[in-house]
Amino acid sequence: MFRRKFLFAALIILLTSCTTSYQPASLAYAQYRIEKTLPSDSAMTALIQPYAVNINSVMNRVIGTSANNYSVSMPECEVGNFMADCFREMAEKKFGRKVDLAVMNRSGIRSYLSKGPITVGKVFELMPFDNLVVLQAVKGTVLQQFLDVTAADGGWPLSRGSSLVIRNKKATDIIINGKALDLNATYIVANSDYIANGGSNCDMLKTIPQISMGYLMRDAMTEYITALTASGKILEPIKENRVSNGN
Amino acid sequence: MAINRRTFLTNTGAAVLASTVLPALPAEAADSTRKLTILHTNDVHSRIDPFPMDGSRNQGLGGVAPRAALIEQIRSQEEQVLLLDAGDIFQGTPYFNVYKGEPEIKAMTAMRYDAATMGNHDFDGGLENFATQLQHASFPLIICNYDFSGTVMEGKSKPYQIFRKGDLKIGVLGLGIELDGLVPDNLTAGTRYLDPVVAANTTAEKLRKEGCDMIICLSHLGDKYSENKVSDEILAKESYDIDLIIGGHTHRFFEEPRKYTNKNGGDVLVNQVGFAGIQLGRLDYQFSSGRRKKLSKAHTVVVGKKTRE
Repeated sequence: MFRRKFLFAALIILLTSCTTSYQPASLAYAQYRIEKTLPSDSAMTALIQPYAVNINSVMNRVIGTSANNYSVSMPECEVGNFMADCFREMAEKKFGRKVDLAVMNRSGIRSYLSKGPITVGKVFELMPFDNLVVLQAVKGTVLQQFLDVTAADGGWPLSRGSSLVIRNKKATDIIINGKALDLNATYIVANSDYIANGGSNCDMLKTIPQISMGYLMRDAMTEYITALTASGKILEPIKENRVSNGN
Repeated sequence: MAINRRTFLTNTGAAVLASTVLPALPAEAADSTRKLTILHTNDVHSRIDPFPMDGSRNQGLGGVAPRAALIEQIRSQEEQVLLLDAGDIFQGTPYFNVYKGEPEIKAMTAMRYDAATMGNHDFDGGLENFATQLQHASFPLIICNYDFSGTVMEGKSKPYQIFRKGDLKIGVLGLGIELDGLVPDNLTAGTRYLDPVVAANTTAEKLRKEGCDMIICLSHLGDKYSENKVSDEILAKESYDIDLIIGGHTHRFFEEPRKYTNKNGGDVLVNQVGFAGIQLGRLDYQFSSGRRKKLSKAHTVVVGKKTRE
């Protein structure tokens, strides 16, 4: 009995030692939070220091004040309303013509607003992309399709005076600049060139000619906030049921 | 749990024999080479500094200097470490607008990342910029479903790489997300997107045939979607050879790794750690050993929370 056991063990050892391979058997996981209380790596701090000094000198310049903390949420949020209003107003000034509606693509809002000073760096964080404000003359039927895409995505911010209700992932009860959407009318719509080029499933806009002046959305925001500050105001965007969920 | 060889030998009273027959493989050494610590990030989005102390939800979190210190501490305790990133290294702070990704890549090189894949935002400075910034990388850019032939990225990425970690042979492949409708054509500059499930399965099979003990997929597909869009969840269920998917794109903070069953009935783990370098994921794998042909394709992996730091 001992002999058989011995031979069996020897055989196992020989077999496993020739072509041993391994496979995952167990896993222990940890999701570490990178907190301020952790020590900093001095070599890394030295590596980023020259970049940080330059960045901070440009980005720490204060251009305005936010009245409150504003986070980003769907279907409507203050940050989104501010951006849509800014693009409509600044586009009207820059292009010198009436704009019916500005839409901000929701996934393009990359940060939040904190109560207190608004720096150049904050504008960069809100709008890191080098996207441009462009205008398009959009027929009512196409505008309906475009707003349906925004509704299916949970709702994108609209400029003041426009609203819609999301029902079954479609845009309903659409008001454009104070009036019900007319499918046969043509509207001047301000969008980012990313959206106007068909980004985020907005193919219906792709073929419509764009009016562009190479106007960066980030510059529009900086100029809007700077003008607000110059007139003695602070940024205080509101929610007013521009985009809501229906039953 | 699979039977550990040492336990088996002890139980049969043949431990002494083992040390005489296999002098080159003492039990202690064999144990240490069967453990692998995987550290990972995704969607760091140019977060070089921690979030500013401005009262926001994430204030004080993230930053490359504390992350580098934590990684260094883990490296001092663990012999076999793989440090991986699942893409969207670029875009999100002024660092990217001004320096186009140089400090991000240099920081990753300093932290000794082993590999990264490409996210949609890594195209944001244009494909040529991405290729240019890779000169600062000492790690490979791994992706098997973007065809860069005829572009500035041609020859600057790898479909996969095999890493030797002690006795272990670890295969790493990478996957990128559908670019159409997400990244403008002028930025993708001729990049061709290939079916990620087909590319991953073909690449993983190749890695398995080359004798990899574990196959890791770095994925920027996103964890899952309400619509029928390809995701890590779909990939996991449609895969045959992948053991672990390190995910990204959807900025999801997983409470724990998700477990799926692949086409062979085996376990596939998926993990994702949010965004902005707020978290560092750590996965400590223990391996069982055996003859290659005896190892079951439908093997299971026992998952538990790491209790001892």
